[in-house]
Parts: sequence; C-alpha cells; structure tokens
Amino acid sequence: MKILRKIKLFSFFAMVMQINVMYSFCGFYVAKADASLFNKTSQVIFVRDGNRSVVTMSSDYEGDLSEFAMVVPVPELIKEQNIRIADQLIFQKLDAYSGARLVEYFDNSPCRQYIRPSYAKSVAEMNEIEDFVEYEEEYSVSVEAKYQIGEYDILILSAKESDGLQRWLTDNGYKIPEKAKEVLEPYIKNNMKFFVVKVNLEEQKKIGATTLRPIQMAFNSDKFMLPIRLGMANAKEEQDMIVYLFTKQGRVETTNYRTVNMPTDVNIPEFVQKDFGDFYKDMFEKQWKKEGKNIVFLEYAWDVSLKNYVKCDPCAGTPPSYTDLRESGVYWVTSPNDQDNVMFTRLHVRYDRKHFPQDLFFKQTPNKQNFQARYVLQHAYKGELSCDAAQEYYKKVLNRREKELTTLAALTGWDISDYEFYLDEIRKKIKESGNGWIEEDNFKNGLETIFIPGSRNNNKGNGVKWVTFIFLLIMMLVILHKSSMLLMKRES
Amino acid sequence: MEALNIVQSKAQKYSIIGNLISDARNPQILLQFSFLIYGILFLSWEVNIFYYLIIIGSSLLFQAIFTYFTDKNFLSLKSGFITALSLSLILKSTSFWVLILAAFLSILSKYIFRFRKKHFFNPSNFGIIVTLLLTGKAWVSPGQWGTDMILAVLIIIGGLNILLKVGRLDAALTFLLTYSTLLFFRIVVYYGWEADVFFHSISNGTLLLFTFFMITDPKSSPDNSTARIIWAFFIALLSFILTSWFYVFSAPLWALFILSPFTVLLDSLFKSKRYEWITK
Repeated sequence: MKILRKIKLFSFFAMVMQINVMYSFCGFYVAKADASLFNKTSQVIFVRDGNRSVVTMSSDYEGDLSEFAMVVPVPELIKEQNIRIADQLIFQKLDAYSGARLVEYFDNSPCRQYIRPSYAKSVAEMNEIEDFVEYEEEYSVSVEAKYQIGEYDILILSAKESDGLQRWLTDNGYKIPEKAKEVLEPYIKNNMKFFVVKVNLEEQKKIGATTLRPIQMAFNSDKFMLPIRLGMANAKEEQDMIVYLFTKQGRVETTNYRTVNMPTDVNIPEFVQKDFGDFYKDMFEKQWKKEGKNIVFLEYAWDVSLKNYVKCDPCAGTPPSYTDLRESGVYWVTSPNDQDNVMFTRLHVRYDRKHFPQDLFFKQTPNKQNFQARYVLQHAYKGELSCDAAQEYYKKVLNRREKELTTLAALTGWDISDYEFYLDEIRKKIKESGNGWIEEDNFKNGLETIFIPGSRNNNKGNGVKWVTFIFLLIMMLVILHKSSMLLMKRES
Repeated sequence: MEALNIVQSKAQKYSIIGNLISDARNPQILLQFSFLIYGILFLSWEVNIFYYLIIIGSSLLFQAIFTYFTDKNFLSLKSGFITALSLSLILKSTSFWVLILAAFLSILSKYIFRFRKKHFFNPSNFGIIVTLLLTGKAWVSPGQWGTDMILAVLIIIGGLNILLKVGRLDAALTFLLTYSTLLFFRIVVYYGWEADVFFHSISNGTLLLFTFFMITDPKSSPDNSTARIIWAFFIALLSFILTSWFYVFSAPLWALFILSPFTVLLDSLFKSKRYEWITK
C-alpha cells in the first residue's frame, strides 16, 4: 500500500442533509497540495423541522480546483433532486445580518438641546437514484449513486469497514489522512453514507463559475447534529464554524456542549470604532479561553418570520427576505405572505479534537427571545462648551470613559495603558472649562488605581464571583440553621 | 451506639453542623443552592433572577397551603424548597406562568399520587415532565453544565454525602453503573469511538444531578434496598434505550417519570421500613 505523505487536509465543516435520521456531516476537504486553509471559517446553513433537514455548506477553498475534494458523512442516500447548488451570496447576507453590531449614540450638548441620529454598522461591513449500485468487492465499498450537479461530480458511497473505504478513497485519488480511519469506523457502523465531492473542471468552465458554489442537500434524519469529528482528523489548530439555523419554534442550542451567550450590550470606548473587527475577534478569543474552550457561542437569535415586522434592532444587514429564506432552504415558507414561524439562530463554535470529542448535537427549544451581540459607542459632545454645566458634563464623560476602558480590558484583554489619550483628552477639557481649577482626587489619582491591565482585571472579576458565591452560601447556611431551630422548637 | 446517639443529639442541639446534619434536607438544600449560584456566576447561564424567585416563591407558597390543609408539619417547607431548587436547576421557560404551573404540579403530585401514605413520583421530576408535555413552552438544557470534571466531582462528592446520610447510595450507583456500562459498550466497544467520547457523554452535569438528587429521593424511591436496585436498573436501561435509539436528550428524566409508579408494586413485594427525614 502506498503511503501518501505531505497530505494536507483541512477540514472545515460538516454538512448534513437529513431526511429521517438526522446526521450531519462533518465534512472534510481533501487536497493534494499544501493548501493552507486553516484559520478559515466554514459556514453552514441548517434548516430543520421535525425530521426534515436542509443543509447548505459553503466552501472557501482557494487552492487548485483540480485538487479539491470533500467527504461528508450523510445519514441516508440522498437523491439527485434533493441536491442543488445554492448562491454564495446567501452566506454573505446572513453573515452581515446576524454579525456583531456596533451602535453609536451621540451626546447632546449639555448647554443646548439637539439630536443626532444613531446608526449601526456590522462587523461584516468592516471587515437520482436509479438502481445504480457499483459494488467494489475488493474494498467492500458500494458506490450507491453518481451525480453530476453544477460543477460538481458527486458520489455517494456506503462501506462495510473503514479500511476498505480508506483504501478505496486513496486508490481513487482522494488523499485522506491516516487518522481519518478511526473516525470513519463509527460513521460506517452508524449506517452513514459518504458524500464525496470533486470539481468537474470541464463543467466548471462551461458554467463560468470562478469560485466553488455552496452545495445544498435535503434529507431526513432523526438526529439533529453536525458531524465535526471527521473534519478534525488531521487538524492541529482550532477551526471556526458558524452555523445559521432556521427552525419553527425557537432558538437552537447544543445539547452536549454548553451554549453561551456572547457578552452583549456593553459600552466600549469610542476609538474601537476603527478596529471593531479586531475588537470582536479578540473578544471572541478571550471569552472562548475564559469559558474553557469547550463551548458554543450564541451570536444571534431572532424571529425572522415574514409576518414579524421587527427583524433586527438595530439592523446590521438586510433581514432575510422571502427569497433569502427559500435560498437558505426554509422549505415551509411557501409565499411572501407566509404566516409560518421562522426562528433564526446563529451559533459560532471554535473547535479542536481535544475539547470537542463528540459531534455537535442540537436541540430546538421553545425560547423565542431575541438575542444579538451589540456594542455601544457613546460619543462625547465634540463642540465648544462654554456654559456652567460643561465641567460637570466632562467629569461625567471622564468617569464613563474610565468604565469603558475597564470593560474593554475585561472583554478583550487589550492593554489599556495604551489608551491614556482617551482620558487625557477629557482631562484637558475639564481643566479648560474649570478656569484652571482642578479637583485632584477626581481623575489623575483615580486612574492609576482603577486601571488594571487585562489579565489582572479578569482575575478580579472571578474574585468578586467567588466572594459572592461564598457569601450567598453562608447566608443560606445561616437561614437554614435559624429556620431549623425555629421549626423544631415549634414542633416540640 | 446509644452513646453515639446521645452525643449526636447533644451536638444537634448546640452546634450549627449538628443541626444541619440532623435533617438530610439541609445539606441537600445547601448543595443544590450552591449549584444554582455556581451556574449563574460561573457557567454564564442566561439568567433572569426574577424567574428563580418566582419558582422558589410559588413552590413554598403551594407547599405551605397544602401543608396547612393536611398535616400542618411546616418542616415540609424544606421539601418544597428542594423541589423549587431542582426545578430552577433543570427547567427553563421564558413564561413565568409556566414556571408557576411547574411548581404547582410538583407539589400537587405529592398529595395526589399517594399509595399507603407515600407519594411515588419525585415531585420535581413529575412537575418538569408534565409541564413539558402540557405547555410546550418549557425546556430542559442538558448542555448547560458543560462537561468540566471539577463540577462533576463536586456533584458526586456532594451527592455522596447526602446519600450516606440518607442511605440511597444503592440506587444511585446501580443507575450510574448500569447506564454508563451500557453506554460504554455502545460508544466504545460497538462504534469504536475513543474513550474520551464516552467520558464526554457521561460527565454531564444534568446526568449526575439527576443521579444524586432525583433518583435517590428517599421519599419516592422504593423502601427496600433490593427493590431500589431493581428499580434503578430499569431506569438506567430505559434511559439508555431512549438516548440511543430515540435521541431523547433528557432521557433519565423521562425514564424516571415512566417507571415511578412501579415503586408502588415494588413496595408491596419488598417490605421495608419507610424513610423519615428526621431521625428521632
């Protein structure tokens, strides 16, 4: 047996189609070249109601197309009419709509009244089955179906054992990592099929597509999950995956990992506006580490039913229209005036083998509460102020900015001593507006004690939690003791 | 032995600890309360303190009302409080009416489903399942505890302490051993997943909480030890079947609910002394 070295496999996401057993696929891409695609984010749209699932996988593969291949475990033999090519734009739309948002508010002049509008910006802005069965005895692998859809050549395989499957793939020019074998085994035992995709270069030329378009598949499965394990077969680093889920009743959460809300509704310093993308990235990283790396973040949840008027507040992108819902695979919405419920959930997971031993299992809850990752900028009044209220106002602003910096450090771990200017600006104004009279204790002194660099700040946060925890426990102990004594006295 | 009892009873009168352990409900309240606070503070639960207050307030109120019209033993408020904490730890809803209903059903079950002066449903288990079935507006978040072993160990040790006092360790261990053995065979031996996949699937806070606080409820579980072992075995078996073939995520809760009425049968077959909270 040939041993193939220099295999680079990147695994992104898994896709799944389901129609009765819902399995998701955790797909992996297989490339012959050293395409370095780590650190990319895979995106999946997952539509589910009852046992019916529609899964769309977006590939951001940028290497040589002749070397592109993807293997995704699927729960059943997917028929040709249940596979289609989706529009890549839908991912961009959903991302822009549901990404973290920055909201700006402007202070009015404390001397006069006037109002400026607030607006929002998103992170995204800134930044057939005939009886076709070919059984290959040598490998105990059956090619259950062969389709050519759009620019893709698709095979659906079933196998009896992982060795054979792995040899079949290797002998047919798909290089898969050695480690993938141990993961293939459980999927085979679970009666899953393997959805194998290659690009048909001739077709691709004819179509004129330059990038790989997303593949969408529909299937039935009673499991609501995404098979991420295959994708981790030889990945050393963490991978990111964003899952956009559409369901009927309410939010989706993971059942075998903790689903945590992204910190939201906090005031952050004005200067973050330029670096909002970095801010969000660093915050994600810090929160992910803080929560133990084995969690799934909720980034957005909203009722996007066509009958629901307010689909975001504020909107960071256009809410999904009837056409967008259809494109995403929300099959139960059948007309622009459809009255059916559509709940949208955006989950973001950063996973690796160590922290995510199991595939992702989901559960729909009746929770319809909206959620968004929203960050607020409060702009200080920029004009000249000459009234008596000015000094008071600037003191308030200084106070507010100190808090914003502390929040920033706690969320992102940024070293806020780099941002002294943010306070100096206001201190200067206090001096000017106060006719040279300064209240010493109010600022300069305060700063040194308040400002704690990121890490220490974080510890402080946990310290407070522990103190609260112990305090509440002692309170409960005392209450129990007292009430027991009281009740017992009454008894006797 | 007698000397020990005298020492104990003296200790109970004069020390906080003595007072606390004289009634197994006290340490149970402390533990469940600390899990709740831990979840809120450290596990980033999406929290609305108001909802917890509603659950606790309404459970205590219903318990007080029922107690007033029955035996007037107001020590049972502690049981009401335990029920409230179990509900808070497991059941979620965005509607406070649903939570009040759950509290009401839990307490009600103690007074309705009785056989020979003993209720056979675990109150919070009954409240949770019936609320899930009736309203469709409540849910259970099996993933909310994460899988960090520290918490798991905490629950196990905490649970053990209570159990040693209560003597229901047989049920807990039977359940845990049976359930995890079956899962081990399925996940590791049959499917061929690595061992950490198995550990990940059992080191789940909800499962352990269930094992040590619900299945071991001394009031609603069978009185006789042999009966309890048989009973816990079948709960584990049913949980395993529901999890593995029907993809029910909170399977142990459903299994306990379905098999609770068999307590009556087991109690008739295996006679034993009834459990009392306070040893006199």
